[in-house]
Amino acid sequence: MQRDVGSLPLSPALRARLLAAGFQTAQELLETGPCGLSKEIGISREEALEALQVVRQECAGDAAKTAGGSGSTRKCTALELLEEEQTQGFIITFCSALDNILGGGVQLTKITEICGAPGVGKTQLCMQLAVDVQIPECFGGVAGEAVFIDTEGSFMVDRAADIATACVRHCQLIAEAHQEEDHLQALETFSLESILSHIYYFRCRDYIELLAQVYLLPDFLSEHSKVRLVVIDGIAFPFRHDFEDLSLRTRLLNGLAQQLIIIANDHKSAVVLTNQMTTRFGQNQSMLVPALGESWGHAATVRLIFHWDNTQRLATLYKSPSQKESTIPYNITLLEGSQEYQDVSRLTSKFTGNLCPFLLVPVLHSFCPSC
Amino acid sequence: MAAGVVWVALKGHPLGVTRHHCSVGGPMGMLRAVCPHGPPWYPRVRYGTPWVPIPSPHRSLRFHPRSAPSHSAGAMVVLRAGLCPGLTEEMIQLLRANNIRTVVDFVSSDLEDVAQSCSLSYKALVAVRRVLLAQFSAFPTNGADLYEELKSSTAILPTGNPSLDQLLDAGLYTGEVTELAGAPGSGKTQVCLSIAASVSLGLRQHVFFLDSTGGFTASRLYQMLQARVEDKEEQLEALQRVQVVRMFDIYEMLRALHEVRDCLSQQVESSAGPLKAVLIDSVSAVLSPLLGGRQSEGLAIMMQLARELKTLAKEFSVAVVVTNQVTRDSSTGALKSALGRSWSFVPSTRVLLQGRAVPWEDGAAPHTACLAKSPRQPTGMQVQLDIGSDAVQEQRPVTPTP
Repeated sequence: MQRDVGSLPLSPALRARLLAAGFQTAQELLETGPCGLSKEIGISREEALEALQVVRQECAGDAAKTAGGSGSTRKCTALELLEEEQTQGFIITFCSALDNILGGGVQLTKITEICGAPGVGKTQLCMQLAVDVQIPECFGGVAGEAVFIDTEGSFMVDRAADIATACVRHCQLIAEAHQEEDHLQALETFSLESILSHIYYFRCRDYIELLAQVYLLPDFLSEHSKVRLVVIDGIAFPFRHDFEDLSLRTRLLNGLAQQLIIIANDHKSAVVLTNQMTTRFGQNQSMLVPALGESWGHAATVRLIFHWDNTQRLATLYKSPSQKESTIPYNITLLEGSQEYQDVSRLTSKFTGNLCPFLLVPVLHSFCPSC
Repeated sequence: MAAGVVWVALKGHPLGVTRHHCSVGGPMGMLRAVCPHGPPWYPRVRYGTPWVPIPSPHRSLRFHPRSAPSHSAGAMVVLRAGLCPGLTEEMIQLLRANNIRTVVDFVSSDLEDVAQSCSLSYKALVAVRRVLLAQFSAFPTNGADLYEELKSSTAILPTGNPSLDQLLDAGLYTGEVTELAGAPGSGKTQVCLSIAASVSLGLRQHVFFLDSTGGFTASRLYQMLQARVEDKEEQLEALQRVQVVRMFDIYEMLRALHEVRDCLSQQVESSAGPLKAVLIDSVSAVLSPLLGGRQSEGLAIMMQLARELKTLAKEFSVAVVVTNQVTRDSSTGALKSALGRSWSFVPSTRVLLQGRAVPWEDGAAPHTACLAKSPRQPTGMQVQLDIGSDAVQEQRPVTPTP
């Protein structure tokens, strides 16, 4: 087809030479052949062969696309997408109000960013999500595994174990209340050991390690195809110090954002990032805004901002393609270790919001009217 | 003035491409029409001869002005035998030995020197130059005819938001590129979805949505359709008219746009249909990793994309809407569109969307849209946008009927 040479993914030096020699469309390149090409623009035959290979792939890709190819550039109508979205699960946070404002929980195939001041509960929510993604499907979860990339070193294993224990106990109580076959079957494989063994933990100490990890993640994910959540705890930390060239930082962050959205889309997983806050000085006031600048704000599809109001923690949905902006209060509670729970509905697992009396299975698609 | 209708006669062509001949009054009266299925031939009209409009026998036959992408102005076309009569293979070899490879080199060189160094006849060179100039130079057209063509081919698409329509002078104009810029959370994706809903439902035209951020949510589009019309059949039909392509890389975007153009030029009814709007959300997500620093190829790719968008808009009369990020102006601190000065010349209309700065502190400040660049309206016009107005009251799981 008549693809312009400028739009083919060739190296810039090669492209400049081709344009100077007068080649304009991909067709002309393919007609010339490798010998003619190497003579005309003065490159070696191997390079000419490689370039023609790329061109041929692009043009073949064009022909395949019209027949409906695969991968991230699949064309589909909005109706098909709607059907896909409705069968897709959410990752619940065990805070019904938060799930409500998010539209059911953390969505798969989207990037969710959680911004907040220190100590407001971002890492707690990340750990909760890493456990909640593994809830079996009969209890309303997505039965996936989690990748946890830690840059600040704030992941505490014993806290994660606490959260996992509470989650398992919650599911056990539900199974006792409902007494169904598949519930009991699922519970056999859903235990503290299995939860902790399915959280893949990576520790990155600076931005180079973080970038390398993210760019290598697709290979890891294709081996572990059950991963449904990628958490990067502290995306701002490696980029905020030791960076003299701010435009380089912007470019790296933009490339990182595109890589993350490719991962989210190709592997049908949710990507959750946590961000820090910084101060912006206005005309006569200063306010706390998410760090990493204006351009980073476009990376996330959904943005949650956690902040304080005296002693109450609040969560605001700041950016979402399908939900309205709203604010809800939430709490972080400790696990009541040995206390007996008489009433299932009063069970508070780690990250709880308004105590919702209907926090039972199925949690996802029926929203309790009192919240 | 040679007025009146000129007949177009179909003739066969050795390359298998239909070429239309017709004659206009005047000595150099060979007007060749352009057929979109083959290499474009340009009319050879002597400057000064008034151009007579020719009623085309069918819709696919159009006169392409200089905007056709494969022959840019200043055509860097390699000299080949048969490019024009009189240009033989040995001539080309002699010219190449003297470092004249492309049309531009030939036309801009001094023919006397060339005649001497290549030992070719000066007259022959002059004749070849005249033919090449007529073939590759720009084609003048009459202003009145341009206006007539514009009147018949331009349509104005309503955006679904009356205040935004007012800002854009009744709506989106086809044949132009419109840009929506805004900070995150200011409502760009919502406005794009609203445009898609309005065009697909109200006008029953196909819409192409290129998504590079993952922000396209079909359930939100469905919500908007539900708020506009009650009938479920119509809602589902409208959903089917919106084609979504997800791509996260600039080359994939260029490929997707090229496909759209192919579909449209071959007029394949099944996939594209009567396409009227192409929405790209967002253009800066794929371009900003390439810009900045010492690499200048990012600018080249950006201009390539700009050319594709403008050609798409102009040739096929579609309205192209792109979304962009904003950056802060270092001197004044005001918000302006990202991607720099070069990109600012590409869209003909630019709208800056603003939401709340700090949403958890102030009360509900509404979203506003401000006109930053427009060929028709005064800049600086500001209206209030109502983005969340067509949300349904409560959440309920929606299932389309099979």
